Amino acid sequence: MSQRDVDRFERVVLPHLDDAYTLARYLVRDEHDAQDLVQDAVLRAIRYFDGYREGDARAWLLAIVRNCCMTWLRRQSSTKKVSFDAGTLALADPRETDARAIQGSERAALTRALDALPDEFREVIVLREIQELSYKEISDVVGVPVGTVMSRLARGRKRLASALGLDAKEAS
Amino acid sequence: MRCAECTELLSAYMDDELMRDEQQAVREHLATCADCASEEKSLALASRRIKENFMRHSTPDVLKARIRNALAQDDAFTVTEPTSIASRRVWPRWPALAAAGLVVAVASSTITATLVQRSVAGSTLAGAIADSHIRSLMPGHLTDVVSTNQHQVKPWFNGRVDLSPAVPNLDSAGFLLTGGRIDYIDGRAVPVVTYARRQHVINVYARPADARSNSAADAHESRNGFHMIEWQSGGLDYWAVSDLNSAELEQFVALFKRG
Repeated sequence: MSQRDVDRFERVVLPHLDDAYTLARYLVRDEHDAQDLVQDAVLRAIRYFDGYREGDARAWLLAIVRNCCMTWLRRQSSTKKVSFDAGTLALADPRETDARAIQGSERAALTRALDALPDEFREVIVLREIQELSYKEISDVVGVPVGTVMSRLARGRKRLASALGLDAKEAS
Repeated sequence: MRCAECTELLSAYMDDELMRDEQQAVREHLATCADCASEEKSLALASRRIKENFMRHSTPDVLKARIRNALAQDDAFTVTEPTSIASRRVWPRWPALAAAGLVVAVASSTITATLVQRSVAGSTLAGAIADSHIRSLMPGHLTDVVSTNQHQVKPWFNGRVDLSPAVPNLDSAGFLLTGGRIDYIDGRAVPVVTYARRQHVINVYARPADARSNSAADAHESRNGFHMIEWQSGGLDYWAVSDLNSAELEQFVALFKRG
């Protein structure tokens, strides 16, 4: 790869690193695993960069990150169940400490609810609610039709609402 | 519109992702159906809670540095299939490192007596260095020169301080060079080389060796939860400070000495 391509990669792809890291953090739920996976994904992106022409660089990078994470999660689940330590996450970013102290218990409940979602629901929830991607963008990242994105989001939200006890009225 | 159909479209309706006529049909149904309206409320609440409580993360500097490093290396573009994460978490040269760590551990247990004496003598300096380490962890204070390249960090000190500290490249062992800075400690300008291990910062301070404390043994200290290791090499007195666990810091020092 020429210096020109390196420059282009830095200009086009690297601005989306925070998005890549955010997705990995919420998918694998461990900051060190997320770092390793994003690094892995970026190395792949560098190698595949020849194949990238124009278009949505963010969705392109996120798709690679997503695939790395999903492969890793599948490998993990075949060996052991990953347990999520809400306490570890709560200490992760000092800037968020104040808000966390107030929202601590609500956060813990939300974290458990999000964590309990099957991976294919959790990823669309994260991409939509936290990363604010459109259905079309999510469809590109996940590699499923828009209709599937729609139904997974609907089911994911329904599960979250019921895990959080928000649908009590309907259940009664 | 029937309730079953409405339920199916509700989530996409909230995201404004339906065709215009579907969007309209759902809106009309919600106006007349209390059950569906209440379901919309609960889905919207779940969605809002997630949005409010989970934020986007910023890429840690350590990861940025690792990626910049990969980009700077020509061979990043011809890398072979990455090894599995599981085995990569254990750094490539781990067996050798583990052996080195073991040697340091054994050696350090035999020199504890010397350390206690020396750490008392140097306690003011150690305190000043610990303070400097804490200051460096505050935003924007860690590095004056940001570089993962030893050939940029080392020359940067020239003309700024009167001594030239070692700046070994320890990337392959998982200790990433992140840059350097100059601190004013105990009456003199001190070059500081910074490394990162995962999220942990390691500061390495260099001062002219004090003849009085000239010793072949490393001195260990713990202050405010930080570990400090002092050693002498090439006429300089080095201090490594980090919140890293002491075994890993010892490993770092052993590698640093070897260059």
